[in-house]
Amino acid sequence: MSRTTGPDRRGRVGARERVAADPLWQAVRLLDVRWSRVLRAVVLGTLALGSSVGLAAVAAWLIARASQMPPVLTLSVAVVGVRAFGISRGVFRYLERLASHDVALRGMASLRANLYEALATGSPAALVRLRRGDLLARVGSDVDDVGDVVVRALVPAGIALGVSAGSVLLVGAFLPAAGVALALCLVLTAVVAPWLSARAARGIEERGSVARAAMTATTLEILEDSGPLAVSGRLPARFDDLRTADRDLARSRDDGARTAGVSAGIGAGAVGLAVLASLLLGLPALASGALTPEELSVVVLTPLAVFEAANALPGAAVQLHRSRQAARRVMSLLEVSSTQHRGRSPRAGHVAGPTSGPAPPIDPGPSGADRSLVLDGVACAWPGTGRVVVAGVDLALRPGRAVALVGASGVGKTTLLATAAGLLHPAGGSATLDGTDVGSLPRETAARGVVLVAEDGHVFDTTLLENLRVARGDVTPAEAEAVLHEVGLQGWLDRLPDGVETLVGPDAADVSGGERRRLLVARALLAPAPLLLVDEPAEHLDALTADALVRHLVATTRTADGAERGLVVATHRLSALEDVDEVVLLGHAPGDPDGPACVVARGTHAELLDVPAYRWALAQEDAVPR
Amino acid sequence: MRPLDPRLLRQARAARGYVVLTATLGFATAGLVVAQAVLLAAILAPAIQGTATLPDVAGPVGLLAAVVAARAATAWAQERFALRAAARTVAELREQVVVHATALGPRWLTSGRGPAVATLATRGLDDLEPYLVRYLPQLLLAATVTPAALAVVLGLDWVSAVVIAVTIPLVPLFMVLVGQLTAGTSERRLVVVQRLGSQVLDLLAGLPTLLAFGRARGPEERVRALGEANRRATMGTLRVAFLSGMVLELLTTLSVAIVAVGVGLRLVHGGMDLEPAIAVLVLAPEVYLPLRQVGMHFHASTNGVAAAQQAFEVLDEAVPEAGRRHAPRLAGSTLTLHGVGVRAGDRDVLAPAGLDLVLPVGPPARAGRVATGRVVALTGASGGGKTTATLVLLGLVVPEHGRVTWTTPDGETVPLADVDLSTFWPQVAWLPQRPALTPGTLHEAVTDGADVDPAAVARAARTTGLDDVVATLPDGWATPVGRGGAGLSVGQRQRAALTAALLGDPAEVPLVVLDEPTAHLDARGEQVVLDAVRAWRDQGRTVVVVAHRASLVRVADLVVEVTSASTATPGAGSKAPVSA
Repeated sequence: MSRTTGPDRRGRVGARERVAADPLWQAVRLLDVRWSRVLRAVVLGTLALGSSVGLAAVAAWLIARASQMPPVLTLSVAVVGVRAFGISRGVFRYLERLASHDVALRGMASLRANLYEALATGSPAALVRLRRGDLLARVGSDVDDVGDVVVRALVPAGIALGVSAGSVLLVGAFLPAAGVALALCLVLTAVVAPWLSARAARGIEERGSVARAAMTATTLEILEDSGPLAVSGRLPARFDDLRTADRDLARSRDDGARTAGVSAGIGAGAVGLAVLASLLLGLPALASGALTPEELSVVVLTPLAVFEAANALPGAAVQLHRSRQAARRVMSLLEVSSTQHRGRSPRAGHVAGPTSGPAPPIDPGPSGADRSLVLDGVACAWPGTGRVVVAGVDLALRPGRAVALVGASGVGKTTLLATAAGLLHPAGGSATLDGTDVGSLPRETAARGVVLVAEDGHVFDTTLLENLRVARGDVTPAEAEAVLHEVGLQGWLDRLPDGVETLVGPDAADVSGGERRRLLVARALLAPAPLLLVDEPAEHLDALTADALVRHLVATTRTADGAERGLVVATHRLSALEDVDEVVLLGHAPGDPDGPACVVARGTHAELLDVPAYRWALAQEDAVPR
Repeated sequence: MRPLDPRLLRQARAARGYVVLTATLGFATAGLVVAQAVLLAAILAPAIQGTATLPDVAGPVGLLAAVVAARAATAWAQERFALRAAARTVAELREQVVVHATALGPRWLTSGRGPAVATLATRGLDDLEPYLVRYLPQLLLAATVTPAALAVVLGLDWVSAVVIAVTIPLVPLFMVLVGQLTAGTSERRLVVVQRLGSQVLDLLAGLPTLLAFGRARGPEERVRALGEANRRATMGTLRVAFLSGMVLELLTTLSVAIVAVGVGLRLVHGGMDLEPAIAVLVLAPEVYLPLRQVGMHFHASTNGVAAAQQAFEVLDEAVPEAGRRHAPRLAGSTLTLHGVGVRAGDRDVLAPAGLDLVLPVGPPARAGRVATGRVVALTGASGGGKTTATLVLLGLVVPEHGRVTWTTPDGETVPLADVDLSTFWPQVAWLPQRPALTPGTLHEAVTDGADVDPAAVARAARTTGLDDVVATLPDGWATPVGRGGAGLSVGQRQRAALTAALLGDPAEVPLVVLDEPTAHLDARGEQVVLDAVRAWRDQGRTVVVVAHRASLVRVADLVVEVTSASTATPGAGSKAPVSA
């Protein structure tokens, strides 16, 4: 078992390095926590729970002293003390909760902002890849979990330490042995029980993750495919799968519950144990004269109030574990983003000046008509896989030229376009914008020359107009309406309640696939970049609309007003390609179906009609139905 | 909102047993709390008064040790069984929600409730765990320990009991008062908080797009500003929300202090003995402890109760009454759509609108008889309701306008709504745009685990080109296929599903409904679909196909254009067959 060698090896690593390598610690550093604020919360919390301890201790003294019927005046300080502690607890606790939540919220805001900045200045390739996983989707709750470590773990731990130390000192001052006994019982509650709780949480998660994944997958499958499953009669079998997954999940909980139960038992038993120990040590001490009766009362009754702080720690340990898992995901996000980065320092220009407002002015770029994008024997691979999907592609693009990229789905058109846009680094050959490696240019500079319109472009949860302004900050409502007409969204726009000021909802849930696709194209048309790379603009559209859209895109490269544009459009519909300057057909060499794809034919649409595969594919989609 | 919804107990069996166990442990805890206080007083009072040494109180000390052990044991049992019961309760509710949502049909699921139900079933119901494990036990302790401890205090010292009895009702009273005063503000602020939070996430999710446009470096200031605004709005809410917590703490701690001072002063004047005084002092905080814990876990309870409520809302949705009639033989029958109109989402649009379609399902080819297979293509602009029309035909969607009838070979006509769909569906093969495949090997996915003649499989695979796919896979037919076809590309999945639909007995499964995939299929992938459609027709089946492309329309015997119309003019969409 590899685990046996683990602790040994880890033992040799310095504690400092171990802490530095802990993803939670790394993430906590991104919270930009001001430790003075944390300290304030801890002090306030210690005062709050210390009030309880003080109340118990003073009340115990008061009763023991009062039973000796002294003059009432001798009790007045104690009476005032008890009442003061009765009030101060609530007030301090209120202040502590505000203070700790303030720290946590500041931390979460910083973490989100730091995360955004790191991702925005990190490697685009990593981000393109992350988009496909669920890491970005989870980042919201992960950030919250990391931030919660302050409120639910760090501050309670600090409070427990403060209150426990103070109480041990108090009891120990009267009877050192009782202080030691109390300290031992507190260790049971504050160290052993939390450790067991964290272990239980980890166990549940490790054993339950497979069952949980199966449960989630089955549930989603049933809900998404309920129709097909019902019609094909496979629904009952899926319900059985769901029941099995849930049974496994319950079993993993049950295993964890054994440990968690022991932890809860220790927590409940330790208080009584501390009281018992005080009695057993205190009674002989009283008999020997080492303790006064009032002191005995304090030593025995105080522990009853001490454990409240320590009892919060098993929950804190579980939170620590949860936060660490979240931190691991958050840090892996950053790691992926920074490792594949090259070409410029990650911190270069990191300090965002006041000029980088929401809509930085975009320089149209030096003489747009002279821009050129040249692919020279480019090979490209999806990051992380290392498998070269397309190789040996030559392509030259300049304003006024339209190129179509065609080929079967999955052949690598998207990967090639992402490489050409500088979002992925070529696995071979070179992609240059005006003679400079496009991937090594700062993102803003590259995007002023060439812009990729991805299939899965994001539609922001804001107005239609603001979504179009992603391309260019100064788009006017009139321009927006004009471009929406251009892409055939006039009818849709007319139906929207507030025109271009209509909110389009989170990730465009209210927008149909075809409308969304045309919206993305409209945004691309507004981009100031003279070179556009558009991936599958025609998907989710019926043939007529699709062809009209592609023809319109091609027509934008031929404007007479000097605002010329260069275009590469990846499509699997061939009907609308009569006007493009060059069609590049990607495919696999006949003898090598598993190797990287390459250019199998290129030329104008008319020229390619001599290529049997192209002619045949075109014939299949001929004649748009009316 | 009730703290313990009786429906939860009715709906989930595991929850019932758990509540009984927790209540029992609650009573035990109450007894132990009282015993601990009384024993402690009995040991400590004589010691303080100097009338007893350790050997004199050895008996009570032994008993106290037993009580401590018993309290540890009840805490262990509570935690030990709570987690398991919570997992089972969640599982029971999850199954009910999923089964019920499925019964409500695909249209209900796609009407916007689908994602919410998916979130509820996979994650939302987990909120019941803290509710069941943390909140509910404290609620039951508040119902057992609090009154028991108070009763004992009353027996020992009625003045202290009165002080406590007066403050206890103040706790919920003040909480409700503070709650009501702050409810409006916190809700308004909560909306702001959520909105701000989602804007930041939206920016993060859209980062690849911003990067593509070179605009990623602008919004970081905005992210910081949003975070700061979020913090300020949240702190505003919390400042008010924590007030109720402070009132609670203040009331409970202050009344313990008042009890302690009162007891102390009566001791001085000789109005009370030390032993009951110690017992009262130990018991007073115990009276409030469960109440405080209830307040602490109140947040967990609202989330848990809300999750249960959402589950009940789904379960309360009325399932359309299922037909009872056993389906007649489909081969030789005719399915007819009469002026069918279906509302599209919540828009005032019918898609399809006024759709008429007569669909004779021909008997399959037999020796000496001409095959009667036919292909009916549904065409029309996207969003016109073609896919919905196929769902209506399958009985998965009940149209708002018009009706669907089934004319049997004997000439009898029955509404499709009266037919038990589970007896109809085995006679139909349906290939939606994203076909569902049985997990297992590729062979199992295609044959659905049935024993099928290998020659027939090979023939079908040749038609769809699946044999080429199998040839390139290292494990061939034994290639594992995951849920939803994981492990295969979209095109390969499509081929596998087409192959499976070719295998059925044309006499038993005379109708094939195919929603042609538009996305991720190039012209060559389309040829596979064409070949499959022709093969089905040659088998004598009736094929209803949602066709986007001309090639598929060309093989059709009948082309029906499906159009949508505004609800202002129902039935305006003209449905005349275009060609025959």
